[in-house]
Order: sequence, then C-alpha cells, then structure tokens
Amino acid sequence: MSGFFASLQHATGGLWPYFAVLLFGFLPSEIWRWASVFLVRGLSEDSEILVWVRAVASALLASVVAKLLLSPSGALSVVPALWRWGALVAGALGYLASGRRMIVGVVVAEAAIIAAGYWAAG
Amino acid sequence: MIPLSASPDSASPPPGPSSPWPHVWAGVRAGAGLPAFMLMCSLVGVGGLCRDVGYPMGAGIISTLFIWAAPAQMVFFGAVAAGTAMPFIALAVSLSSVRFIPMCMTLLPLLRQPASEGRKGTPTWLLLLLSHYIAVTAWVEGMRRLPPMPREARIPFFLGFSNTIITAATIATGVGYFLIGQLPPPLAAALLFTSPAYFTLALMNNARMTMDWLAIGLSFVLMPVIVRFVPSGPDLMVSGIGIGTLAYLVHRVRREVA
Repeated sequence: MSGFFASLQHATGGLWPYFAVLLFGFLPSEIWRWASVFLVRGLSEDSEILVWVRAVASALLASVVAKLLLSPSGALSVVPALWRWGALVAGALGYLASGRRMIVGVVVAEAAIIAAGYWAAG
Repeated sequence: MIPLSASPDSASPPPGPSSPWPHVWAGVRAGAGLPAFMLMCSLVGVGGLCRDVGYPMGAGIISTLFIWAAPAQMVFFGAVAAGTAMPFIALAVSLSSVRFIPMCMTLLPLLRQPASEGRKGTPTWLLLLLSHYIAVTAWVEGMRRLPPMPREARIPFFLGFSNTIITAATIATGVGYFLIGQLPPPLAAALLFTSPAYFTLALMNNARMTMDWLAIGLSFVLMPVIVRFVPSGPDLMVSGIGIGTLAYLVHRVRREVA
C-alpha cells in the first residue's frame, strides 16, 4: 500500500502536494457536504428532526471551541488556561454589556489574550 | 474575484423584475466585516503550517479553496508534518469534517427553493455547489441572517457572503505562508484565539431559545470531562450528539408541559 503511494508521489513529481491536498484533504472532507444534500431531500425547513439536528450542530460547535481552549496548539498554549478562559468570559461580558455587539466582544477578548500573552512571557 | 461568477444568475438577467445583485452585494458587505477578519486570522496559521511541511504556497491556497475548513486543514498539514501515511490522513480529515453533516442539514433547507407548481426546485448541482461553502462561519452567520430574508434573496446573499470570506481566507493563507514565523508570540496567540472567541459570541448571538443555551452551556461544562474519557476524534461526536440530544429532549419536555 505504501509502495503504491510512493510510486504515485514519484509519478506526480512536483505536483504531488496538490494531488495530496485534493485526494486526501478535499475529497474525504467534501463527501459529508455532498451526502447532506441527499440526506435533506424532502425535509422541510421546519421539520421536527431539524430542530434536533440544530441542537447537535450547536453542541458540536461549542465543543470544538471548548476543545480548542482545553488543548490549544502552538502559541496559544503559552497562555495559561485560566487566562484563556478568562479572556473568553471577558469577551462574552463585553458582548453583553455593549448591547450584544459581536465586534466589541471580539475586541475585548483579543485585548485580554494579548495582555495575558505579554504577562505570561514576563 | 473569480468565485463570484458562480452566482447562478450572473450570466443572464433573471426572469421577473427583481435582480439578484442587491442581495449579492448585501452578502458581500455582511462577509467583509468581522467574519472575513476572523477567518483571515485563522487561515494565516494554516499558511504557516503549509510552509513548515515543505509544500508550495499553491498547495496551501488550494487547501483553503477546496477543503474550506480550517480544522481539517490543520489536521491535514499536521499529519503530513508527522509523516502519517496518506490513507490515515484522509481518515483523520474525514473524521474532523463529519460535523458538516448537521450544519449542511440545517442550512441547506433554508437556502433551497422548494419545488412548487409552475416552478422547479433548486437543482441538485446548485445545492452541491452551495454545500461546498458551508463551514462553521457560513453556518453561524447563515442560521441567523437567512430566515428573515425572502427566499429568492437567500442564495444570492449566501454566494456573495461566502465568496467574500473564502477570498479573504485564501489571501490570508498565502500571506501566512511567508509571515507567520515572524510574529511575537502574544500576537500569534491572539490570531489563534480569534476563531474560538468569534464562534462563542456567534453562538450566543444565534441562541433563540433555551435549547440553544443548554447546548452551548452544557458543552463548555462537560467537555473537560469528556476529553478525559473519550479519545480525540470521537470526543466531539460524543459531545455533539449527546449534549445536542439532551438539550433537544429538555426542549421537547418543556414544550409538552407548557
């Protein structure tokens, strides 16, 4: 199997990275989008099952965010966990205090994380 | 902006008095603010990852245009960097993109024009094209902005919005390819922090009923426990389906009682 991929890599030469992105990045990701087109055939926009699917999608996205903050990668891992969560809470409070303006929330959260980054670096 | 030509009505004027272009431009304006900024911050990092594995800048660019999911792109380049065999990379990418199913399933019915007498529904090829643009950003913004719009405005708006943010993200990927190693660490941390902050606020912004708040709140509270007991990959599936179902059931019970 790996011999097959090695020869494919050889055959495509300098174009290999492009093939790799399309074959092993794009296709395995895109199939779920295409599958969904057929899954929702005949479902109306206010059908009950889609209420449940929306709850699942919201929980999934919140979980993705939580995971990003629990086990961050790269430069974000330098900032201590308490500060990461603190910056997120600060952003949420900024958003609520400004009459639900997302831009204010994002600016507050970013300012907090930058301050935390400089503070953590000493 | 090549992708704009993907608008179904760009070549010929549509029948009837209304032009799709005002909706397209409304979408462009909606995308050009915070959503484009947030995506640029995230995709700059992907450009840097692409360079780290020794791939050309073009590979990073097409990864944004085609994969169009920053987490999947990070999984891809991270696994290439680790020397993972290609079939396993494909599997890991696929796992990280399963979350598109609930997002596409809730957004596509808002976009499509149902078939009715005298009029055909949105053709399948167009739905397949529209589905490509669906990722977290298009989902959170679409779920809030599309329902109040008249149905004929939704697809033009969505294409204007999506092509704007995908263009911005693609440019950022190219810029990040050259730039990322030179940033001071606190600023690099801020770039990585933009998308979690934006998505959290967008979820709060979209929350309309108790079910939404439950889904969000429980995920934040329970995720630290879930990641301790469930391996990475399935952990998101367990949390998404488990907590989503719980929030939905509470919603059902409350509705039946009321």
